[in-house]
Amino acid sequence: MDVTRTVGLDRNDVIAAAKSIYSLVLLLLLWEFVAQYDMVHSYFLPPLSDVLATFYELTASGTMLEHAYLTFRRAMAGLLLACLLGIVVGVLAARNRIMGWFWDPVIEVGYPVPVIALVPVFMFWFGTGDLPKIMLVVVGCFWPVAINARNATREVDENLVWSARMMGTSDRRLLRRVVVPAAAPGIISGVQIALPIALIVTFVFEMVAGGGGLGHLEIQGVRSFESAQVYASLIAIMIVGFTLDRGLRYLRGRLLAWT
Amino acid sequence: MNRTQTHRQHPPNAKSTHDTMVDGHVTIAELEKEYESGDERTTAIEDFSVTVPSGEFLGVVGPSGCGKSTLLYLVAGFLEQTTGTIAVDGDPIDGPGTDRGVVFQDYALFPWRTVMGNVTYGLEEKGVGKEERRATAQRFIDMMDLDGFEDKYPKELSGGMKQRVALARTLAYDPKILLMDEPFGALDQPLRESLQDHLIDIWRELEKTVIFITHDVEEAVYLSERVLIMTRHPGTKKTTVDIELDRTQPREELVLSDEYTATKNDVWQSLREETTPGGEH
Repeated sequence: MDVTRTVGLDRNDVIAAAKSIYSLVLLLLLWEFVAQYDMVHSYFLPPLSDVLATFYELTASGTMLEHAYLTFRRAMAGLLLACLLGIVVGVLAARNRIMGWFWDPVIEVGYPVPVIALVPVFMFWFGTGDLPKIMLVVVGCFWPVAINARNATREVDENLVWSARMMGTSDRRLLRRVVVPAAAPGIISGVQIALPIALIVTFVFEMVAGGGGLGHLEIQGVRSFESAQVYASLIAIMIVGFTLDRGLRYLRGRLLAWT
Repeated sequence: MNRTQTHRQHPPNAKSTHDTMVDGHVTIAELEKEYESGDERTTAIEDFSVTVPSGEFLGVVGPSGCGKSTLLYLVAGFLEQTTGTIAVDGDPIDGPGTDRGVVFQDYALFPWRTVMGNVTYGLEEKGVGKEERRATAQRFIDMMDLDGFEDKYPKELSGGMKQRVALARTLAYDPKILLMDEPFGALDQPLRESLQDHLIDIWRELEKTVIFITHDVEEAVYLSERVLIMTRHPGTKKTTVDIELDRTQPREELVLSDEYTATKNDVWQSLREETTPGGEH
């Protein structure tokens, strides 16, 4: 009998899992090999084992978690606010003519603006604390959320709206009862697009303005010639991003079980 | 098939005698609908008048693009007419209302709601309590032979089942008038026939007024008490044909009877004049 079965794993699952990550393992081994044999100077690329050791030290001392929490908090606060604003604006721009007139051109122009270019402006206006970072995350994440919410709302089948109205749903309740649930898949796609933007904006702002966070930790590594710390920070931000993305996918699966 | 309808309530309207004074009586007078796009105006419906007495099953046939669906959506209150009036029981309609229930060709079920959730929707909007809501919904789910599928989502159902859910959803909130827009058009023949028979049973039992749009002459003649034939663009009433068939006989005998064949031919001929290029219009 296969022992893996006792923990609810099929042998096929194990093989599938191994297949899905073997390319990553190969790349990491290549990294270790190249660095160990000094094919690249260790200042530029320290061996993976050194990076992992530093990662472990920083984690054990609590430093890494502290910085990761700062980054996580800023990115999530901004993303949540952006979702709130973006969904309201997007849905209303699609359903309300006056809101559409106002927001459609704004969204078209605002969407492609490289939000990173605003980092100095926000520092100029609001300083280097949490507020400008969160605000810039809001600005960066608002556009994809709003544009996806608007498009998804526009595409809601009019027959669904009519069905609800014939069954007695008032105009006021229509959005909550039918339009938003029907547009939910598109709305959530917008949030998924916004997530990496939230992380990028937070990370870059921390690199430029300091104030703690994984971006700050990384740039500190560069400034103090601690290249292992640079890569350890990078691994940390990758873990944060990966976890959040998986979490969001899980949430999507739960919310959209009907699709 | 086991249809458990033990505690079925009778709708408020008494035994159907097609009395024009009781519930579910539709009057359409000099209806006109123009669509405007830019400078162009298209007349979809013109000079259309008809009275549908309470409890009648009216079939509407017409060549494609004659405005059959537009007519139905006007009566539903989804669209607004350019001129003319539509009245239910003497009161002009003002937008959609729970006295009328539409059954769409593409079902228009709420995909995020289960079968039960779809059927209870109209009752939720009416403010019916949870227990009663579920009991009423269950009755119509059973009536449509959907028991066992209460917790399924629409995506898990076949087309025929979706249409039965749509019918149950509309019947559950008890509109007096059923407006059906080619509801069986996307289904294959055997399924369509079984749903047609199902619909006749329901119509007899619940005593609804039905306006049934179809492009299928046989379907119209088989189901309806009266068939309205529409002209080609712009759509207007060409004529109506009373269907007098002995409904006590089973389908296979009915469709072979002389009356059925003759009536079907009358309707078909009348419709054919509209579909043949170089016809009257």
